[in-house]
Amino acid sequence: MLFNSPEFVLGFLPLALAGFFLAGRVGGTHWALRWLVAASLFFYGWWNPKFVLLLAGSILANYGCGQQILSLTREGRQLAARRWLIGGVAANLALLGWFKYANFMIQGVLQLHTPELEIFLPLAISFFTFQQIMFLTESRNGSRVDAGLLPYAAFVAFFPHLIAGPIVKPREIMPQLLAANLAVPRATHLTEGMTIFLLGLAKKVVLADTFAHYSDVGFAAAAQGAPLSFIEAWYAAASYALQIYFDFSGYSDMAIGLARMLNVRFPLNFASPYKAANIAEFWRCWHITLSRFLRDHVYIPLGGNRHGEVRRHTNVMTTMLLGGLWHGAAWNFVLWGGLHGLYLVLHARFPLRLPVVATRTLTLLAVIVAWVPFRASGLDATMAMLRGMAGYNGIALPQMIVHAFPPLAAIAKPVPLLPYLGDGRTLSFPEVSVCLLLGWTIVLALPTVHDLSQRTRGWALTSGFAFTVQALFFAPHVMPFLYFQF
Amino acid sequence: MNTMGRLISACLASMLLYALAFGFILDRPLSLGYLRQQIDAKLARAAAIEQPKLVILAGSNGPYSHRCEIIEPILRMPCVNGGVAVGIGLDYLFARWQKALHSGDILYLPMEEAQYVRAHATTEVGPDAAIMLRHDWRTLASLPTARWIAALFSFDLRAALMSPIETALQLVHFHDPRAEVTGATNAWGDHVGHTAELAAVNRATLAAASPYHPSAEQIRTGYGGTLIAAFTRWATAHGVHVIGGLPTEFADAPMPDAELQAIRSVYVANGADFLTLPNFSRYPRSAFFDTAEHLNESWQAVHSKLLAEQLRWHRVPIAAAHPADPAGPPAPRNRPTD
Repeated sequence: MLFNSPEFVLGFLPLALAGFFLAGRVGGTHWALRWLVAASLFFYGWWNPKFVLLLAGSILANYGCGQQILSLTREGRQLAARRWLIGGVAANLALLGWFKYANFMIQGVLQLHTPELEIFLPLAISFFTFQQIMFLTESRNGSRVDAGLLPYAAFVAFFPHLIAGPIVKPREIMPQLLAANLAVPRATHLTEGMTIFLLGLAKKVVLADTFAHYSDVGFAAAAQGAPLSFIEAWYAAASYALQIYFDFSGYSDMAIGLARMLNVRFPLNFASPYKAANIAEFWRCWHITLSRFLRDHVYIPLGGNRHGEVRRHTNVMTTMLLGGLWHGAAWNFVLWGGLHGLYLVLHARFPLRLPVVATRTLTLLAVIVAWVPFRASGLDATMAMLRGMAGYNGIALPQMIVHAFPPLAAIAKPVPLLPYLGDGRTLSFPEVSVCLLLGWTIVLALPTVHDLSQRTRGWALTSGFAFTVQALFFAPHVMPFLYFQF
Repeated sequence: MNTMGRLISACLASMLLYALAFGFILDRPLSLGYLRQQIDAKLARAAAIEQPKLVILAGSNGPYSHRCEIIEPILRMPCVNGGVAVGIGLDYLFARWQKALHSGDILYLPMEEAQYVRAHATTEVGPDAAIMLRHDWRTLASLPTARWIAALFSFDLRAALMSPIETALQLVHFHDPRAEVTGATNAWGDHVGHTAELAAVNRATLAAASPYHPSAEQIRTGYGGTLIAAFTRWATAHGVHVIGGLPTEFADAPMPDAELQAIRSVYVANGADFLTLPNFSRYPRSAFFDTAEHLNESWQAVHSKLLAEQLRWHRVPIAAAHPADPAGPPAPRNRPTD
């Protein structure tokens, strides 16, 4: 079930909230948690009921493994606990590897010319696998509470973060799920949660889906090998940068808002990443919970920065390549991860001493360029798009613009219209331009939803709520969240 | 006011501002204004004709691939090319054309495949919704209530941003370059000037285009198909001779026969005729302008002559008044003649 679907907003959410608070009032926290688990499994099963068994089995197996690790650790049997941890993590990764990477390994890496395996990727497996790996490591270092199966199942299956994060640590969430007043409705939490949810929904259905249209046209043309001009290519890439930001940060806001309504506080997942002054800062602000997972569970175990410069850069590169691969079993994701790894290494080796405006601009341009392989359908499409962005196919502008500003004729060829821009109509250029201007103004000049005052959130809702209703109930197509595929 | 009250107030204020802005203030005089002007001009021509006439109604397949200017003298019957674009709601289009059709008229419907399977939700928020809400409340009032609500909510963010821009461009007498790119519309409502030379920029797109053919089941159950069937019944009951037809398409990627039969049954099952041309309206890709529904101007003429000859034999009562007509419909030509 999608957060941005009428059945979720009008059906599932009101019922889940009412049932949660009613169960809490009648039977206490324990019953509220039972309701939460049942509702979450229903939410997951809405997509494909048979994979509920996989999720439930994964929860049970990891809980058993975690308990074993915890008791061995408490008994001082460190070696055995370590073996259980390695076995548990390996089993989780094997499951993820089978579903997500088997075909990529066979055909992409080993280059075996065998028919593709018919493997159906279970929704959210990348997310709930990481959650449970964190549970196992917290069991090993003893930093989690020993609360029983029910709170653990509620933590993993918790519908606000089940599908696409944030990737939260057990020790952040499980104590909250065990609070005695968990299921007591609180008006401030409900209102705050609802406001953040609605603003996140607006980011997704009003902004992200608008930019999706523009980026889809450009990248589809690149996939067909069309010669995109400079403006068409940059507009498509800039649109995708906005689409993925509004899509994923909108989803994260919705998750945070939903959790808040249920008296649970999630960590932030985005903190104005496009305002970052360098690439390291970008990664501290973009998909924050994944970044810290990769830091804690890949980069630091590899040695982090403890073994000299070369090893540190190798660890950064390895972490980013794996981070890229986590997004999808394809070379373009590896390339995206590799580009970011390279950026991070270059930033560490040659820190720029330029005005902040310049470093911000440079960082943003580097990030946009890296989105190209991430979004493109393959390496050929990536090259076609990059050729356009480099001006290889020339610079063209609509005649109407060149007529209005004649000096532009010196750098741009006047054409009646740009066929790969928006709907390829006469007015597509001003339309896409003004939408991009709005999008980048929101991203670069305004604070995040979480930094807004209550009054400003009210104004934001006033300007966006009706468009959200329009997009939610009257737009002909519901576009799924980008991160669902990961 | 408590926090929940403030939240609800913000949402209500948003809805109110949206309704006021789009219901009374914002407009898109260039994009939607162009469509409105096209529809109104074609209806005005139809209204001015007092004798029986031929009306060609479809999306852009009508004006791009058919030419009333050529058909009219062959049929010796006034002709109006009534199509504008796929995307304009068929219910809206039919509601407007009902008033312009009279007993004895011939209605030829070479509807695009997409028209039959166009979904209800998509139909409700097409460009006609915005046109009706701002300029044609009378037609909107004649449609079901759900359509009124959908019309109010047919404006997205792009509409909000483009409205002031289009209004400003209109005020400064913006030069519309469309004629230089795709041609223009003549007095019959035909699209003209979409020459093979102008089509050269679309050659790669046409070569790569892979037409989507809906299944026969989709045609049978599609919302657009039900609207066409209902309109066919209405027109037939009012003495209009309805003839269903096929849209133009690539000869190398034709629609499956099952789909063709499903399209045929939309008309035949509702009391109309169905006309397939000897070439099934299929042409080589080089005959097209930018999509499979848009022949370039030379082939538009070829197709129109072929259609006119076939329609002449279909239109029994009037054809009988011209004994000089040959004994059967001519075979199609394979090359443009002009």
